[in-house]
Amino acid sequence: MSESSSPPRALQQSGIFSSRVIEDIQTKAESGIYQIRGYGTLRERRWATFDDLTFLPCSLTRIPLEGYREKCSTKTVLGTRFAEKPIELDIPIMITGMSWGALSYNAKVALAKGASEIGSSNTTGDGGMLAAEREHSKTLIYEVLPSRYGINVHHMQMSDGIELTIGQGAKPGTGGLLLETKVSDAISKQRELPVGVDQRSPARHPDMLGPDDMVIKIEELREATNWQVPIFVKLGASRVYDDVKLAAKAGADVVVVDGMEGGTGASPAIFQDHTGIPTLAAVCEARAALEDMGLYGKVQLIIAGGIRDGVDAAKAMALGADAIYIGTAALIALNCNRPLYVDDYHKLGTEPHFCHHCHTGQCPVGVTTQDPELMKRLPIDEAAERVTNLLRAMTLEIQMLARSCGKSDVHHLEPEDMAALTPEASVICKVPLAGTRRVWGS
Amino acid sequence: MAELICEERTIREINADIRRLLKEGEAITVRSPGARHNLGVALLASGEVVFDGSVGYYCAGLMDGATVRIKGSAGWGLAESMLSGEVIVEGNAGNSAGAAIRGGALVVQGDSGARTGVSMKNGLIIVSGSCGYMSGFMGQGGKMIIGGDTAEAFGDSMYETICFVGGEIADLGNDAILAESSDEDKQFLDTSLARYLPASLRANLPDAAGFKKVVSGRKLWNFKKSEWKTWEQAL
Ligand SMILES: Cc1cc2nc3c(=O)[nH]c(=O)nc-3n(C[C@H](O)[C@H](O)[C@H](O)COP(=O)(O)O)c2cc1C
Ligand code: SF4
Repeated sequence: MSESSSPPRALQQSGIFSSRVIEDIQTKAESGIYQIRGYGTLRERRWATFDDLTFLPCSLTRIPLEGYREKCSTKTVLGTRFAEKPIELDIPIMITGMSWGALSYNAKVALAKGASEIGSSNTTGDGGMLAAEREHSKTLIYEVLPSRYGINVHHMQMSDGIELTIGQGAKPGTGGLLLETKVSDAISKQRELPVGVDQRSPARHPDMLGPDDMVIKIEELREATNWQVPIFVKLGASRVYDDVKLAAKAGADVVVVDGMEGGTGASPAIFQDHTGIPTLAAVCEARAALEDMGLYGKVQLIIAGGIRDGVDAAKAMALGADAIYIGTAALIALNCNRPLYVDDYHKLGTEPHFCHHCHTGQCPVGVTTQDPELMKRLPIDEAAERVTNLLRAMTLEIQMLARSCGKSDVHHLEPEDMAALTPEASVICKVPLAGTRRVWGS
Repeated sequence: MAELICEERTIREINADIRRLLKEGEAITVRSPGARHNLGVALLASGEVVFDGSVGYYCAGLMDGATVRIKGSAGWGLAESMLSGEVIVEGNAGNSAGAAIRGGALVVQGDSGARTGVSMKNGLIIVSGSCGYMSGFMGQGGKMIIGGDTAEAFGDSMYETICFVGGEIADLGNDAILAESSDEDKQFLDTSLARYLPASLRANLPDAAGFKKVVSGRKLWNFKKSEWKTWEQAL
């Protein structure tokens, strides 16, 4: 073989038809349908996130609290508007609604136990309530979703809050999916569906359409729970300003806004990547809506979608959130994407840290599966302890930041405690761009 | 028989009284319901409640066990998510009657609106007259009997609900198909209609053999590219 003397030709790829695009087109050409996956957006293009903000701790203008010891309250109260028994939590981080079906039994129970241990809450999901999750949840929020799988008034009455879900951040405007491998005997019984169907949940509630109906629906839920517990309304972040106003006007005690980065068990990929607005933008619009109605502080705001740590949570709280829901981060604490059973990640065509294959039902670490053998890989008590630890560490992170900003309560964090690192974040969050004393765009 | 008068009382007060009286074993007549919303929500004891007039949205919603009779018409979401019991409306029912019910029986002696029986999971719905657009949508189980005609998209995207229609079907929804009624089906129709509809209304209906049976074609149960033509419309 003769050796070429010319230098190797540099490979050049189309910026439009990248490897990913080629793979996407060829997969669709084989299957004839859009791509479905779990986890959340894999979109590569950058958008404004909490990373575009930085805290401005005290120096001379303000006095910090002692970082590791001075009291800094994390107590969180939700549902003070109409409910007779508002929810009281020891920390502001809560476990979001993830269905038994999307998640394994072990994962559901571990989340319930882990959250309860540290005085947080757990939420049911699109499949009704699991008896063990009630048993192990100190505080349980019951979701009422468009599908109404497993809807049961007795379970509602055993709950500490009701969440009327209008949409999710990963897929606003469309229903959830649970593919056949996860519609096991137990799940089909729970949801009253044939075993092994590719379950597609509806997008609209069966008995209400717009916000006017929702006023009556909320009253119905209050009647069913004797006006005791708070009613949450959960929205996928879309037209957040208007939607939050409508939810608050309809009588919600608590509004949940789930941003574009929100996780999912299975949804069309295009929804995860190309619908909704980012969590950072969503929290700002939601706060503005409540302020403009004079309801800020009266209707509590929970923010979800891509919250990774106490830093994201603290920034969301400084921008206006009363509490934070986490989903994916809690699953990662359970072991999602951990380099265990690596061969099984390979079988799915992926690697630890790259997995987003919750939709397959073949979760290598037993979190998002109904396969009893895979589920055994997630021992409940150890997993619960990791959830507790994550919630504790995140809370400590929030407290540290709050103390450094001179706050004796994490809920006292405010936009003034931050500067923006990009003009976009300055425009969106209405905080000055670092290095200037100017809020851009105002 | 206890009597409750709605006028000038809040829904919360009215419902609290209904629940208390039901628990005490009283049969109740609720006077002047005034088409108000959320009357008789979450009735969780057996016993009889009569609404002496029309009711609004979600009457008898989230119910488990009571027998409710409405001597008038009902608004949206009548008996939604019922677990067990009986709801009989002598007039018409608005949209989404019997939405997501998991048991019990809902009987509409007049007509019912759009999405009757939407997402029903079990139980029985009988409409003596006609039903509106997209009735039976995503029905997961149970049975629905429509004495009269159906509007368009009947039985769209169902799982295992079985429907019977005495009149004309304007249009079958995605994946809804006609099936042959068995002798068992005919017997079920005879006994259900005899049990729940007065003779005067039964007289307008065909006999059991004259009812069409509508079930799921099961082509939308799983994603298959061979059935793409159906998916094209349904997705
Ligand atoms: C595996 C999984 C299952 C989910 N199931 C539900 C559900 O049943 N109902 C619901 O409202 N949201 C569901 N979600 C969305 C979450 O409640 C939440 O909005 C989202 O996960 C928040 O984003 P994060 O995962 O980035 O924290 C699910 C999310 C995941 C990851
Ligand atoms: S490891 Fe399991 S939970 Fe995590 S992304 Fe993969 S399949 Fe989903």
